Amino acid sequence: MADTINADNMLAMLQAAIATIRENEEMLSNLDAATGDGDHGAAMAMAVGAADKAITEWDKASIKSLLHGVGWGMMCIDGGSTGPLWGSLFVGMSKGAGEADTLDSAALATAFETGLEKLQKQSKAVVGDKTMMDALIPAVGAIRTAADASASVNDAMAAAATAAADGAAATTDMVAKFGRARNLGDRVLGHVDPGATSMSLLFKAFSEAL
Amino acid sequence: MAMKKFLNDPANITSELLDGLCTAFSDKLTLVDEKLVCRANAKAEDKVAIVTLGGAGHEPALQAFVGEGLVDISVVGDIFAAPNGPKVFKALQMMNRPAGVLFVVLNHAGDVLNANIAMEMAEDAGLNVKMILTHEDIAPGADTPIEDRRGLVGCVPLYKVAGAAAEAGKSLDEVYAIAERFNDNMATLAVAMTVATHPQNGAEIGDIADDEMEIGMGQHGEAGTGPCKIMTADDTAKTMVERLMAAIKVTSGDKVLLTINGSGATTHMEMFLIYRAARKVLADAGIETACSMVGEYLTVQEMGGFQMFLAKMDDELIDLFKAPCDAPYWTVR
Repeated sequence: MADTINADNMLAMLQAAIATIRENEEMLSNLDAATGDGDHGAAMAMAVGAADKAITEWDKASIKSLLHGVGWGMMCIDGGSTGPLWGSLFVGMSKGAGEADTLDSAALATAFETGLEKLQKQSKAVVGDKTMMDALIPAVGAIRTAADASASVNDAMAAAATAAADGAAATTDMVAKFGRARNLGDRVLGHVDPGATSMSLLFKAFSEAL
Repeated sequence: MAMKKFLNDPANITSELLDGLCTAFSDKLTLVDEKLVCRANAKAEDKVAIVTLGGAGHEPALQAFVGEGLVDISVVGDIFAAPNGPKVFKALQMMNRPAGVLFVVLNHAGDVLNANIAMEMAEDAGLNVKMILTHEDIAPGADTPIEDRRGLVGCVPLYKVAGAAAEAGKSLDEVYAIAERFNDNMATLAVAMTVATHPQNGAEIGDIADDEMEIGMGQHGEAGTGPCKIMTADDTAKTMVERLMAAIKVTSGDKVLLTINGSGATTHMEMFLIYRAARKVLADAGIETACSMVGEYLTVQEMGGFQMFLAKMDDELIDLFKAPCDAPYWTVR
């Protein structure tokens, strides 16, 4: 089991995430149609399209430059909330990754935490608000917990995937506090949040790519 | 039922509609970088510029209100989706001038996120921009926090009064103060009877029973305060205008702007029935309807329903509302 990942591993993780989101575009839009305006799948497809383009233009210099290219690419799509939120996450992760050639589980935790911090400058959502944060915050916490126990990167990302999936599933029983779904009140009960679902797909793909 | 619309590749809807709009009105509009709808005859440099942003799919808004006396640049995103922050920044940079830029943003999550990124970039670049957020939806209650109140059709008359003030040569602080005074005294309530479909994926947005309507529906069909059985035009108008009157606290002797904004499938015939009934309720309360708008301004595809908008007007706002303007979908001579 790998104790660290390098830029090529990060590239493989991103490519797996891009493929997974593309496979699930229609499912994500259908989830959004129940509580929003039905375009989350299209917005995510646009975001991963921008990520894919950034990957082909990547200078192969570092993990940092890879993540920064992906984040800035996402920031420059016309996808409503999706671009600034996902873009901020990856731009923040690039800053957190720093100049390192390889990341162990602790360094990876720092990268994700820095990405989360950058994202939290754009969104005040917390766990329980029925947003992407319901998957992201527990996933980042799981990576840190695993790193503190000296787990491998694989084990840390597996724990993150489980935490993200559980967090996304929990949104089914939540009332939305952000985005268009908040205006539906109790009527969103029983519907899983599309943003949290996308986020859990990201961590699932990351974990499976390792 | 499958979506019935005249479309080509769904990915190209926004660029194709903007190309159509800007060539149809080439004497008034110029398209820059595919998504920036700009005035063909640029405003004098010594006047405050007005910039706005929003998704497509709500035509004629927002971009058909670009023109003399209204908006200088409308930054367009994709269908129902805000444009990206860096692109909005570019528009602010294009319009930057000593007189300043008023940046009008409707309160929707994506619009606000991208506007905030553009404003961060504008501050770093030292641009002279003031941002104003419209949030006049009273569906969740007039006293709920601003972040829970959406920006609906009220942006259009706000462009009008702010745009007229800018054309009159007022300073950025003055234009902002006028726009904010209008913003603080306006309210919108929407009602929907049938849902819209998303033109890129055919998904139906929302769910309304055949014999019901829903007051408080959002711009894209996001749910409001709950469904009820279909009412007559008179009863619907009365229910809605009374809530709006209470929200902006108008009483006998006050003057108002009354707007009926069709959502897409509701006919002008129905809109005039609604307007007539609402105006009568206002008149019975001693309130003068000094300004009126009836038509399709900010739509959402084929949704059935309308937005009723009410703003308390003073003499200066009335003069600005009636001042000359020249945009594809709003001309006053």
